[in-house]
Amino acid sequence: MVMNNNISIHKKISNSMKSLVARIVLFVLYRGIKVLAREDSRIMGEFQSWPDGLSVVLETSYNGPSISLQKKGDRLVRVSHSENANIRITFRSIDAAFLVLTGQIGVARAYAEHRFMLSGDICQTMSIVRCIDIAESYLFPRLMTRRILRKVEKKEFSTIRVYRKIFVGV
Amino acid sequence: MFVPSYYEFVNPGKILSGKYALENIASEFKLLGSSRVFVLSDKVLNELGQVKVLCDALVSGGVQVVGTFVDIPADSSIEVVNRIAEIYRQANADSIVALGGGSVIDTAKGVRMLISQGGNDIMKFVGAEVLPFARHVPFAAVPTTSGTGSEATAVAVIKDGARKLKMEFISQFLLPDLAVIDERFTVSMPARITAMTGLDALTHAIESYSCLQKNPVSQSYARSAIMMIIENLDKCISTPSDRKARLAMANGSLLAGSAFSNSMVGIVHAIGHSLGGVCSLPHGLAMAILLPHCMRFNLEKCDEDYAEILSFCISPEEYAAVPRKERGLKCVEVVETFANAIAHDAGLSLKLSDNRIDKASFEEVAARAINDGAMIVNPKAVSKEDVLAILEAAY
Ligand SMILES: [Fe+2]
Repeated sequence: MVMNNNISIHKKISNSMKSLVARIVLFVLYRGIKVLAREDSRIMGEFQSWPDGLSVVLETSYNGPSISLQKKGDRLVRVSHSENANIRITFRSIDAAFLVLTGQIGVARAYAEHRFMLSGDICQTMSIVRCIDIAESYLFPRLMTRRILRKVEKKEFSTIRVYRKIFVGV
Repeated sequence: MFVPSYYEFVNPGKILSGKYALENIASEFKLLGSSRVFVLSDKVLNELGQVKVLCDALVSGGVQVVGTFVDIPADSSIEVVNRIAEIYRQANADSIVALGGGSVIDTAKGVRMLISQGGNDIMKFVGAEVLPFARHVPFAAVPTTSGTGSEATAVAVIKDGARKLKMEFISQFLLPDLAVIDERFTVSMPARITAMTGLDALTHAIESYSCLQKNPVSQSYARSAIMMIIENLDKCISTPSDRKARLAMANGSLLAGSAFSNSMVGIVHAIGHSLGGVCSLPHGLAMAILLPHCMRFNLEKCDEDYAEILSFCISPEEYAAVPRKERGLKCVEVVETFANAIAHDAGLSLKLSDNRIDKASFEEVAARAINDGAMIVNPKAVSKEDVLAILEAAY
C-alpha cells in the first residue's frame, strides 16, 4: 500500500503564497470597510442596520488565514477568533478564497459556484455582501470590478483617499 | 449551451411518478431498512381522506404507520418542527412520509433534519451547506400541489414564529430520498390553486434557467419543465379531471424544483418573498404578478436566455419568424400573455391593486427584498429604487 499524504512542493508553495496574499487582502478589506463605514453613505447605512454585537468570521479555508470582526457601537473592530460567531463564511479551499480576494471572481459568482459555506442568517449576510461589493468598487481597479461586479458602484471619493486611510490612518 | 467555469449539481432523490406510486413507497422503505413510518400532513387533506389513502398504501405494502401528525398549519414554524420531532421520538419511528404542499414538506424536512442531527431545536442548523451528514432517516415526499417542487429541493424555508422571520436551511441532506407523484392527489386541486402554484413552478423554471447559477444540468431540467407547464397548465384549469395534464404538471413542477434547487431563483422570488412577508400575498400569486415585470427588468442581461426560453414556448415556425434581436423581448411578452390567460381562466387578477396591496407598504417590501438571499444570483444588480419601480409597474 502506498501512502500519499505528503503535499508536493509546488502545491505547498502555492498554498503558502496564496495564504500570504489572503492575509494581506483580508487586512485591507477589513480596514477598508472600517474606513468606509464612516465615510461612504451606503456602507454607513448598511453598517448602521446591523445589530450591535454582530460577529462575523471569514475563513479562507478550514485551516487558512481568517479574520473575526464585530460591530461594537458604531465601530467595526477586530476580535479574537470565536467558534460562535453569528455569521461564519468558510471558503472551501484556499484556492477559492484566492480567486475572490484577488478580484478574479465576485462574491455573487463565488456564491453561485458554491465556493464558500455559510452558517448564520442569510438576510444578514446579504447586507455584508453589499458592503463588500461597494468596498471592492473602491479597492480594486475599475478594469477588474467591471468584470466581476454586477454593478460598479459610484465612488463618493477617491480610491487613494481610502488607501491612505487604510495604511496611514489619516 | 452555456457551461460555467465551475458548477455543482445535486440530483433529486428517486422519483416515483404515476399510477400506484404510493403503493411503492413501502417496498422502497424496506430497502432503505425502515419499517416504522411517521406520517405528516395537514387538516384539510386528512378531512378529505387523503391521509387514509396514503396510510392504506403503506400498511398494505408491509410497513407500519406508528404515528401521524396532521395539524401542520399553512404557515408552519420552527416551534411546530420542534414539537413534531418530540412526538416522532416518542413514537419510536424510523422514517417519514410527508403528504401535502410546500409547508408540509418543508416542515417534514425540518423534522427529519432535527431527528438526523439530534437535539431539540432546529434553529441551530440555519445556514447554507454547512451541515455534516448525520444519521440517515428515510424520507418520502408526496406533493399534493404542483408548484413548490419541494419534493426535489435541498432547501427548506421555515418561519421563526417568535421573530416573524423566514429562516432558510440549505443542505443536500434535506433532499427527500423519494419524490412521489401520485395522480390521485393532483386532480382535486381547485382552479385558483392550480393557477397560482403552476405559475410559481413556471417562475422557478424561468428564473433558474436565466440566473447566475445556471448550468447544463439545471437548464435541461428547467427546459423540460417550461415545456410541460406551457403545454399543460391551461388544460388542468379547463378540465380539472385531465389526469394526463395533471401528471405532466406535477412532473414539470418537480423538474423546476430540482432546477432551482441547484440554480437558485432571483429577483421575482426576492420581491415575492417580501410581498408575502409584509402583505401576506400568496406566493404563487405574487410570482404570477411579478414575473413579466421582473423579466423586463432583467432583459438586458438575460436576452440570450430568454430567446432560448422562447423556443420552448412557441412552435419552431413561429420562432423562426421572430427576428433574432427581438426574441428576448418576445419571450417576455409570450410569458406575460400566458400568465394573464391562466389568471383570467382561474378568476385571478394580476394587479397588486386588485389584491388589496397598499402602496404604503412598498417601502418596507423593497427594503426587505434587497436583503433576500435570492438577490445574490440575480444577473442584474437590484437597488431598492429598482424594486419600487417594479412594484409601481405591477400595481
Ligand atoms: Fe416559488
